[in-house]
Amino acid sequence: MTPAELRVENVTLRFGGLRALDSVSFDVQPGSLHALIGPNGAGKSSCFNVICGLYRASEGRVFFGDVELTRQRPNRLARLGIGRSFQNAALSSHSTVLDNVMLGRFALTRGGFLECGLRLPWITRTERRHAERAAEICEFLGIGDVLHTPVGALPYGAVKRVDIARALAVEPALLLLDEPAAGMNAAETAELAHTIHEIRAELGISILLVEHDMGLVMGIADRVSVLDFGRLIADGTPAEVQADPEVVRAYLGTDHKENA
Amino acid sequence: MWWVRALLWLALLIVLLALPLYLEAQWLRAGEYMMVGAVGAIGLTLLTGQAGQLSLAHAFFLLAGGTAYTVLAGGQEGERNLVGFNLPPLLALLGAVAITALLGIAFAPVAGRLRGIYLGVASLALVFLGLYFGQAAEGLTGGTSTGRAPEPFSLFGFEFSNEGDLEILGVPFRQSERVWYLFLGLLLIAFLLALGAVRSRVGRSWRAVRDNEAAAAVMGVSVARAKAGAFAVSSAYAGLAGVMTVLWFDILKPDESEFGTYGINVSIAFLAMVIIGGLGSVPGALVGAVVVNGLPQVLALYSTKLGWFTGTGEGAFTPVLISSFVYGAAIILVVLFEPGGLAAIGRRIAGRLSNPARGRE
Ligand SMILES: Nc1ncnc2c1ncn2[C@@H]1O[C@H](COP(=O)(O)OP(=O)(O)OP(=O)(O)O)[C@@H](O)[C@H]1O
Ligand SMILES: [Mg+2]
Repeated sequence: MTPAELRVENVTLRFGGLRALDSVSFDVQPGSLHALIGPNGAGKSSCFNVICGLYRASEGRVFFGDVELTRQRPNRLARLGIGRSFQNAALSSHSTVLDNVMLGRFALTRGGFLECGLRLPWITRTERRHAERAAEICEFLGIGDVLHTPVGALPYGAVKRVDIARALAVEPALLLLDEPAAGMNAAETAELAHTIHEIRAELGISILLVEHDMGLVMGIADRVSVLDFGRLIADGTPAEVQADPEVVRAYLGTDHKENA
Repeated sequence: MWWVRALLWLALLIVLLALPLYLEAQWLRAGEYMMVGAVGAIGLTLLTGQAGQLSLAHAFFLLAGGTAYTVLAGGQEGERNLVGFNLPPLLALLGAVAITALLGIAFAPVAGRLRGIYLGVASLALVFLGLYFGQAAEGLTGGTSTGRAPEPFSLFGFEFSNEGDLEILGVPFRQSERVWYLFLGLLLIAFLLALGAVRSRVGRSWRAVRDNEAAAAVMGVSVARAKAGAFAVSSAYAGLAGVMTVLWFDILKPDESEFGTYGINVSIAFLAMVIIGGLGSVPGALVGAVVVNGLPQVLALYSTKLGWFTGTGEGAFTPVLISSFVYGAAIILVVLFEPGGLAAIGRRIAGRLSNPARGRE
């Protein structure tokens, strides 16, 4: 799939009186690693949910190439070439790793209850082919040795990787990652940064990354957008953003308080 | 280790195939009743266990399926104003399954708006609808007082009734023996279809909807369609169980109150099977049906033999009452100690056998 540009145009999202997003605009260039950062409650996940069609924007539009995402149902997303991971992983904890990742192949496969129930030869064949690809993706993410383990039995770091594997199983042109390093220790975070870097190098896809960990973001992102209280307060290269006084006040300021 | 499992299933199948040669008719009938429960329970475990949609409407779909079969296969009876289409029984059975599947889809929009216990309560309304329908639509159901005899099932001219003399290995094959094989065949089809679906993208989409609707949608699953599909499949299973019910009783007889063959108690019994067996587990549903539908049958058979429970009337310890206590207690035990049901216990034992080191952890 040739990567397309993601354009967020003047998106406002209201929850009653609260403006979770306030006229937010930014572009994710094809093939780039774009980070979306901001303090707790800044509206990062809400922004993802608007892009995915899970929340309806009160105003504004989101385009992926020529397609207006804000007019699509969320279940069209995978077919348009967008994969997403969730802040809370959102996996089936009783199901195995492979089974969870195979969900990412849903839009790429076909067959209803009777065809699948009867195990028609073409169903079995495609199922096997897709399972091989899913296993390959898990291997790539370093969870190839736990394919048949229930997700609930895995350590947290591995669970987050399963979520990313599922998003990649969609074979996306754009990957949305919501705080993939949340709750990880420094070593795990560094490993993950390496993995994200590899994903991009190997697959050449665009990645939009929501992250709290400034170190991770500044090390690998091409471009950074900063949200604070639903407003976009900065948008530029990591160096530019880091030097921006408003960012330092809004983001790093709260960070210091948190750590104190 | 898959071949050990396959071998065990094969052994079970052979035993089940051989049983009519050894068991008396009354024991066969008890087994058939368990198979009726098993087909229904598989349907409910798909809906409630796999897709996460609580339903207490199962008894309604049982009645709908039983009625549909009786009407489609039955003849027109002028003096009682009974409607009938004289279809071949196989076609009537398939028709009944299709009709109940459509009824399930018709209920799906409600299911799309309600969750958890609210959905359970709303689905219970269907049981009352069925109660009313059974009494009001006498032209279809035959009414509560006399009911309506269903056409015996037949396949390519072979009758699953006492018609004709048939003897195998010196054992006369009459209705009980023949229906045993019919039910076993239907159960086998229902079981294999469910297993195949659970392991495929269909089952995956159900589990995704159960565990996180947002994630399911983002992965390409239409949540509304997945739910509707689960309802359709589950009601089709209940419909088939309904057809088996009228064939087993040899009569379609709608209930006079909300407790009966198609009443609240039956919806709850199916839920009990599914919980005892382990929510979402297809083999678990089989075991749950054996416990819940088998216990009263077996107790009744033993009690007449041994002279237990001789009391009658209000407050007497009947086999049905005792088994209600037993499976009630079983549910509480499962919920408290093993929420995964018997299926989880089975998995643990299997795990320990195939990998002793891991099992001991
Ligand atoms: N469904 C909802 N209903 C009401 N308010 C919501 C909803 N979702 C988000 N919000 C509010 O919108 C604001 C932004 O939340 P959001 O989850 O997008 O923040 P975030 O930047 O992802 O924060 P975090 O870093 O904690 O994940 C918060 O004030 C939150 O309470
Ligand atoms: Mg968030």
